[in-house]
Amino acid sequence: MTTYSKLVDVTVCTGCRACMVACKNWNDLPVETQAYSGGYQSHEKPTGKTWNVLQMKEHETANGGFEWLYRHSACYHCADAACEKVCPEGAITYGEFGSVDIDQEACVGCSYCVYNCPFDIVELADYVTEDGDVRQRAQKCTLCEDRLQEGLQPSCVDTCPLDAIVFGEREEMLKLAEERLEKAKQFFPNAQIYNPPGVGGTKMFYVLADKPSVYGLPENPEVPTSAVLWKDIAQPAGKALLGVTMMGVLTGYVTNKLFNKGEHHEEGGEVDESKHG
Amino acid sequence: MNQNTASKGKVKRFTKMFIYAHWIYAAAFFLLLLTGLPLFANSFHWVYAVFGGPDMTQIFHRIFAVIFVIPPIMLLLFDRKSLFHWLKEVLTWKPKDIKFFFMFPKEFLVGNPDMPKQGFYNPGEKLNSCMQIVSFFALVFSGLVLWFPEAFPVSVVQWSNLIHVVAFIMATTVVIGHIFLSAFHPNSKPSMEGITKGEISVDYAKHHHGEWYDELVEKGEVVEEDSKGA
Repeated sequence: MTTYSKLVDVTVCTGCRACMVACKNWNDLPVETQAYSGGYQSHEKPTGKTWNVLQMKEHETANGGFEWLYRHSACYHCADAACEKVCPEGAITYGEFGSVDIDQEACVGCSYCVYNCPFDIVELADYVTEDGDVRQRAQKCTLCEDRLQEGLQPSCVDTCPLDAIVFGEREEMLKLAEERLEKAKQFFPNAQIYNPPGVGGTKMFYVLADKPSVYGLPENPEVPTSAVLWKDIAQPAGKALLGVTMMGVLTGYVTNKLFNKGEHHEEGGEVDESKHG
Repeated sequence: MNQNTASKGKVKRFTKMFIYAHWIYAAAFFLLLLTGLPLFANSFHWVYAVFGGPDMTQIFHRIFAVIFVIPPIMLLLFDRKSLFHWLKEVLTWKPKDIKFFFMFPKEFLVGNPDMPKQGFYNPGEKLNSCMQIVSFFALVFSGLVLWFPEAFPVSVVQWSNLIHVVAFIMATTVVIGHIFLSAFHPNSKPSMEGITKGEISVDYAKHHHGEWYDELVEKGEVVEEDSKGA
């Protein structure tokens, strides 16, 4: 089956933030005012109300020069998504265009996904349910799946004036990333592709000008070990153990009914006389 | 009936405060289990409807969590004697306790007349208590982290998810056995009176807690003839 990906080549990004505006606009996201942090960057990181944030890092180059490191940050749409793994409601699923989708109607706001996302992307935010109630529900970038369904590109992709963000079939995007990397290496010797295998690769992946840590990205993001133990071992084993225990006591109940009468008389005659009249 | 001296043919086992603590703990445990189960198994989704939706269910879970920690505090404040007696008894393990577990399966299934003499608590009861103590602290501390996740490093929150589920499974497993033995097993069922009325029949004490019974006779709290007459 064809799968798709969003390639973000941060080496050609000029930090115009059109992707942020397009995202807010298309997804009808509310204003989110944050305290001024002293830099050019608008928000600290993506939130439940601001699904992509243009990160602006002031970076000192090897020879003492200054450069901006711009980075479009949003959900990475992991192929092996921790959020999908820990969701108890099955509200998080993989979409046909490579996205990791959250169904806010099925979400119960438990926030397991929030604290297990290796990239700190998912957050709870106000969501108006079908019944008209405002609830705290997990929200993040949808990869504009609604647009993809209609044959359109994600709004950030559509808007990017420099083709720093492109979307297409994964194979093509991986090839394109290699080409972009070759070009980037002429200016940035440390340039590399960021498509971390610890989460099965990401459907939003980068061509970075430098090491991931320089951008504040985890070098080897993984599905948390605790989440694997929890969902792949503790939960199924726990269900089995509780089931076996219930069966055990039911068996004990029946066998005692059938076979325990004689011995019980010997043991404590009148203790529960009513049973043995 | 709940005075210091037991009724005729009965022997005092638990104080009123200890009984209250037990049942408050039991009620809170059951309600916490109920309100937590839908996040564990989808077959318990009906619980959301009972408590007025998933968000209300989560709020109730926190209210029950507060009630859950009251019993030990209650005992610590008002009945330290019972609390420490219980702790001392259930934390004292002897090599012969292992023998009990080998003989227990038969007792569990069809009754075993050859069960060895037991103290105030038998090893099964001690195991139940010990596992409840461990799971209590695991549930309370991991639960606190999950209640206030912003106050902790994210890895602590992640491990708390795992600890909470493991502790709940452990606690629920022993609770199933505990309920069966105290309410449905013909041999041990009479012990229920101990945690409702506070006293059990001398006869039951003699047959199920022989060592404790001997102590009581020695102390003169029970007259040997009592059991025969009962």
